[in-house]
Amino acid sequence: MAVIAIEGLVKTYGKQNAVDNLTANVQKGRITGFLGPNGAGKSTTLRCLVGLSKPTSGSVTINERPYRELENPLSKVGTVLDSRGFHPALTGRQNLRVVAAAAGIDDSRVDDVLEMVELTEAAGRKMKKYSLGMKQRLALAGAILGDPEILILDEPANGLDPAGIAWLRNFLRHLAQGGRTILVSSHQLAEMQHTVDDVLIINKGKLIASGTKEQVMGDGTLEEAFLKLTGGALS
Amino acid sequence: MNLLKSEWRKLIYVRAHWGLLIAAILVALLGTAVTPVILDSNAEAFGLGLDQPDAIDAVYANAISSYFFAIIIGIMLMSGEFRHGTSVATFLTAPKRGTVLANKLAIAAIGGALVMVIATASGLLGGWVALQFFDNVAEPSSGVFLNTMIAAVVSGAILGIVGVALGTLVRNQMLAITGSLIYLFVIDPILLTLAPEAGKWLPSGLITAMLALDVQAPELGFDTTNYLPALTATIVLLGYGLVFGAIAIATSLRRDIE
Repeated sequence: MAVIAIEGLVKTYGKQNAVDNLTANVQKGRITGFLGPNGAGKSTTLRCLVGLSKPTSGSVTINERPYRELENPLSKVGTVLDSRGFHPALTGRQNLRVVAAAAGIDDSRVDDVLEMVELTEAAGRKMKKYSLGMKQRLALAGAILGDPEILILDEPANGLDPAGIAWLRNFLRHLAQGGRTILVSSHQLAEMQHTVDDVLIINKGKLIASGTKEQVMGDGTLEEAFLKLTGGALS
Repeated sequence: MNLLKSEWRKLIYVRAHWGLLIAAILVALLGTAVTPVILDSNAEAFGLGLDQPDAIDAVYANAISSYFFAIIIGIMLMSGEFRHGTSVATFLTAPKRGTVLANKLAIAAIGGALVMVIATASGLLGGWVALQFFDNVAEPSSGVFLNTMIAAVVSGAILGIVGVALGTLVRNQMLAITGSLIYLFVIDPILLTLAPEAGKWLPSGLITAMLALDVQAPELGFDTTNYLPALTATIVLLGYGLVFGAIAIATSLRRDIE
């Protein structure tokens, strides 16, 4: 069953198609890697998916409804788009309490998720003093604040050191074990190979491959398949 | 109520907002504390001395001079969302943008009014204390305190709303704040002096008119003869708030959130 459905999505900036007639589905309970070179249209697609950008044409739905029409969306979809999104002059805890209040979530849940992402000790520190890894973890804490069934993560491993990437891998596995549907964009292909069940690959705004990880990889690695499909446009 | 609570937290968690409140109090205190000194030392030149009720009303009227802080708070509440990227979390949590903006406008109105009430009350108190140091001081007009506080609440609320609208239109925070200050302190006073018929419809003229003062001191740049009646000025300023609020909702609804 498709939890996330993208139908003929087009997003145009000026004369350039950032996303060009993209159609793809994300299945329930699976971790789906959304892969593509920089500028392929991954972030634009995800922003259209969660209602921050308006599609030029086509449709994007979550549980058959546009994101903007979801009741209390934080309880259904958790999103990490980048490490920004939190006020630098507020503490980690205050930032999450602002979000929690908007979603009608009890403040005690804020402390729970801070503990889950191992930020309890830093919760009272201003966000501007956080390292990039801590900011990413705070963003993940925000995404799971409403205990959603679906997670949409845009490059969550960006800027993380090896220890941070290992932590993220374990964290995503832990979330996936609870039966969540996770759509994660990345160009860290070796890491993705160990994490995802399904793969969507886009290049220049167009879908160029989709299926289970095994179907897309064939006998090689995910990186080899990716390079072959994108003509070596990894960066 | 959830969104109101969230927006309220944004208002009170940011220390810069408390800094603005302190600055607003200081400006109001300075305004009312210095005016008696200026009036007393230049009574002949101004044709207005502390022994005249008009002069005392003018002293207390300066308690409202912090009104520009209300617009800054509104700007910071909105453009801060874009400056720090918190608009992403805001609109992910509550994707119905009109509802978010309506709640933000409400909190900006409350915040602006609160800042103005506290600063103006401090200014009135400062003016009263300052006047104790002078002899032969006239009594103020009977309605000056009430009118000043009403003007503080209404102007603070409306300018908070206008600030949110400006923050939506001009997402660069520094540009929005600098532009509004230049307008309020340079363009508005110039228009009020050079073209009083037009100037009286602009924010500075309207806020002064709301005080219902009757002060003729053109040497001070202060002559309320041609100002609008207080109630009309209040309604026009409310109109500004509604128009700017509608612009904020219309523009923010259409644009992508980066």
